Amino acid sequence: MTTDIINILLSGVFYASILFLVAAGLQVVFGVQKVFNLACGEFYALGAYTGVVFVKIAQGIGLPLLFSLLPLILAGLFLFFIGPIVERGLLRFVYGRDETFQLLLTFAVVLMFEDVIRFIWGTSPQSTPGVYLAYGQINLLGAIIPVYNLIVIVSSLVIAGLIGYMLVRTKFGRIIRATADNREMSEALGINMKSVYTKVFTLGTVLGTLGGALVIPATAAMTEMGVELIVMAFAVVVIGGLGSMKGAFFGALVVGILRAIAISTYPELELLLIYLIVIGVLVFRPEGLFGGSRA
Amino acid sequence: MAILSASDLRKYYGEFCALDGVSFQINEGEFVSIIGPNGAGKTTLINVLTGLLTPNTGKVFYKDKEITGIGPEKLSKLGVARSFQLVNIFPNFTVLEFLMVAVVSRLGKGTNFYSSLLHNQKVTTEALEVARLFRLDEKKDMLTKNLPQGDKKMLDVASAFALHPEVILLDEPTSGVSTSDKGKIMETLVSASKKIGIKSIIQVEHDMDIVFSFSDRIIALHQGKILADSTPAEIEKNEEVVCTVMGQKECFKIFSTLMHESTGRDGKA
Amino acid sequence: MTSYQQTSEAMGRWKMAYTALKKPKTWAILAIALFFIILPRLGSQYVSYLILTFFGYAVALLGFNLLFGYTGLLSFGHALFFAMGAYTVAFFTSKFSIFPMEIILLVAIVVSAILAALIGAVCVRYIKIYFAMLTLAFGMLFYSFLIKFYYVTGGDEGMRVLRPYLLGYELSAIPKMQFLMGGYYYYALVVLTIATWVMWKIVSSPFGLCLMAIRDNPEKATYLGVDVKRYRWYAFIISGAYAAVGGVLLAPVIGQVDPTLTYWTHSGTLVFMTLLGGFTNFLGPMLGGLIYIFLQDKVMSLTTYWRFIFGAILAFLVIVAPGGIAGVISSLVKKEKSGR
Repeated sequence: MTTDIINILLSGVFYASILFLVAAGLQVVFGVQKVFNLACGEFYALGAYTGVVFVKIAQGIGLPLLFSLLPLILAGLFLFFIGPIVERGLLRFVYGRDETFQLLLTFAVVLMFEDVIRFIWGTSPQSTPGVYLAYGQINLLGAIIPVYNLIVIVSSLVIAGLIGYMLVRTKFGRIIRATADNREMSEALGINMKSVYTKVFTLGTVLGTLGGALVIPATAAMTEMGVELIVMAFAVVVIGGLGSMKGAFFGALVVGILRAIAISTYPELELLLIYLIVIGVLVFRPEGLFGGSRA
Repeated sequence: MAILSASDLRKYYGEFCALDGVSFQINEGEFVSIIGPNGAGKTTLINVLTGLLTPNTGKVFYKDKEITGIGPEKLSKLGVARSFQLVNIFPNFTVLEFLMVAVVSRLGKGTNFYSSLLHNQKVTTEALEVARLFRLDEKKDMLTKNLPQGDKKMLDVASAFALHPEVILLDEPTSGVSTSDKGKIMETLVSASKKIGIKSIIQVEHDMDIVFSFSDRIIALHQGKILADSTPAEIEKNEEVVCTVMGQKECFKIFSTLMHESTGRDGKA
Repeated sequence: MTSYQQTSEAMGRWKMAYTALKKPKTWAILAIALFFIILPRLGSQYVSYLILTFFGYAVALLGFNLLFGYTGLLSFGHALFFAMGAYTVAFFTSKFSIFPMEIILLVAIVVSAILAALIGAVCVRYIKIYFAMLTLAFGMLFYSFLIKFYYVTGGDEGMRVLRPYLLGYELSAIPKMQFLMGGYYYYALVVLTIATWVMWKIVSSPFGLCLMAIRDNPEKATYLGVDVKRYRWYAFIISGAYAAVGGVLLAPVIGQVDPTLTYWTHSGTLVFMTLLGGFTNFLGPMLGGLIYIFLQDKVMSLTTYWRFIFGAILAFLVIVAPGGIAGVISSLVKKEKSGR
């Protein structure tokens, strides 16, 4: 019994760690630019596919499987350039407009990236065989835990900590919080909105691509992973509250653990349960756990 | 008979007290102006009276029915309407369509899915009537967003009138209008309300000339409390009101009047 | 009403019809209608087949735009009702062996109206992003139902749609294409025509005016005594029922229904079609649907990367021409008129 609980908890927290990264990307973009980026799933997918490529290259030059974490993180960071391309190239044209149009533009980005991925990698799944197992397993209170899961959880916590530190202690973080709170005031105080927006969107992008890259050893990069993930990420930000980092953290935990419970008990209920909770949250507490004002 | 009354209204925004025990009664046939410096609580009072805000304590009555916090939609059906200080319009509607919304709502035809609006004589005629009363009938097919600012304001007010309310609350009806037009606008409002059958008008106004020319009664508000509630003649003599509400210039006038009176009586300086 | 008033109203109606006939718009619509009627006779089965799928989407789009263009609510889950309609046909024909199309239509309308009433009651309390997200959530909830209860719904393989009876006629003896191009084509066209006429009445009614008022300034509408939430709810129910009818029309054409019909990206397609044609115009979304279907067909035959092209088109639309094709046409017409 305890071993089952530990297994469920840990696989739930593992998935939550990945979700947190993507959701954090969503939240920071929504908080500052008030845009709900449907394309974050595509960034996640891009990260995954690129992660496979980097790992293969690393293996090619002789890097032992154990160090595969490095190329994965590099893959996530490498894709940062997608941020400015999407933001300067498309998103900036709709900043003043109605939220629904901004949402539709991100949907257009989803469509385009779906095919970019298809174009580069085709439709067959890509994976990094052997990496997951290379990290081995440990025995925790009788349960057998893959070490890779623990590494990802730790990495995610580290990143969460870095984000928290940045938001509170650095100038950029203060700018983010100020802009999220009151855009006009921040502009009036001389903050360069254009550059803030680009930087924030890039941050959001990288968080998404990192999430995708880190999840790769545990699964495979597949064509529908982007549009499927947005469904989960969306649940996370609703439960946690739109625009809130804390919300991303706790929302991800809720969704990740719920999903793990559902998969091991009644697999049919997985999406159902999560969506019932999403709807429940939207009805009874639309601002989520930590969100700001109501709709 | 009291048509609208407020009893001990208090409204707090956190620590800040916007309304501090406001009570008054508006009777049928009265034109009442609410005056007061900025921050006195006038807009909060109007919002509470029209059910947009619920007061922390206190009640609002329409005739003998309690209407505290029932919301603007239900209120307009009962017979209380309001206009806005900042123009609140439907930019892409024509003037006629704008007024038709109010008429449709009043006639209860909002759930009429099937009949064609254009051919509905009743709705169109009534909307035109209101337009005529406000001298907007020539512009009936113009888009609201293309109207000059003054006409937009008139239209906003006209749509409230089109609801045929018994009581209407006007939030600064002449703000943003040039002084020379103010009188004309007030004349239009008063004659329109007579034709439509509005029983009482309550307005928030800053322009003292307008206030004194048209009001039967003036309520002076200051820091959430009622300073005075009486006829224009009495208010003019009330130095507290004059100084706090109407400003320094008036204050000096009153002092000199009072001083003259006192020297006159004693014969001494 | 006195008889004088009745007569003058009737005369007014004739006058309106007469003046309408003189307008080029009316002739254009009649011409298009005529084109649709003679199309199957013109030969190309493939084009007629695409038009058939268009009929289903057209009805759904009429409903969708009532919500989006006229009431200002963007639903990212409308494919839910579309799928409902389609699955109703599948269930009735292959599971319950009830074939009359009229019964299926009636049931689909009733069931989806009830479902829309329930879902709408939750959703119309919110606006903009929250409304879009909530409807997306419901759409995906339905998707998960369809997948997980596979023993009833066939899971991700879906269900077969057998041939329904039209007006009581059992036509299974006729080969498929002939059925579709013949009786079924005109049946669907008639349903579309009726649906269009009814929707036109709705948007020109006092109710329609109130919806537009709610769209443009919900606060002011409230002050004018319009029950904003209730009217949004009514609009939601009507548009849900319309989407279901559209799904019913589409199902026999595609022959197989599966859960992707309610996936959020399919809802996105409905939005795309509406935007493409122009949501500020009554016929805009239908135009968008028509163009989308043919364009998709053409582009798919040229490249597998049609999504990229469509994504680019959508981006272009949102950024440059949010009024869609109808918007572009009407601004060109305005320019011409003012130019003269």
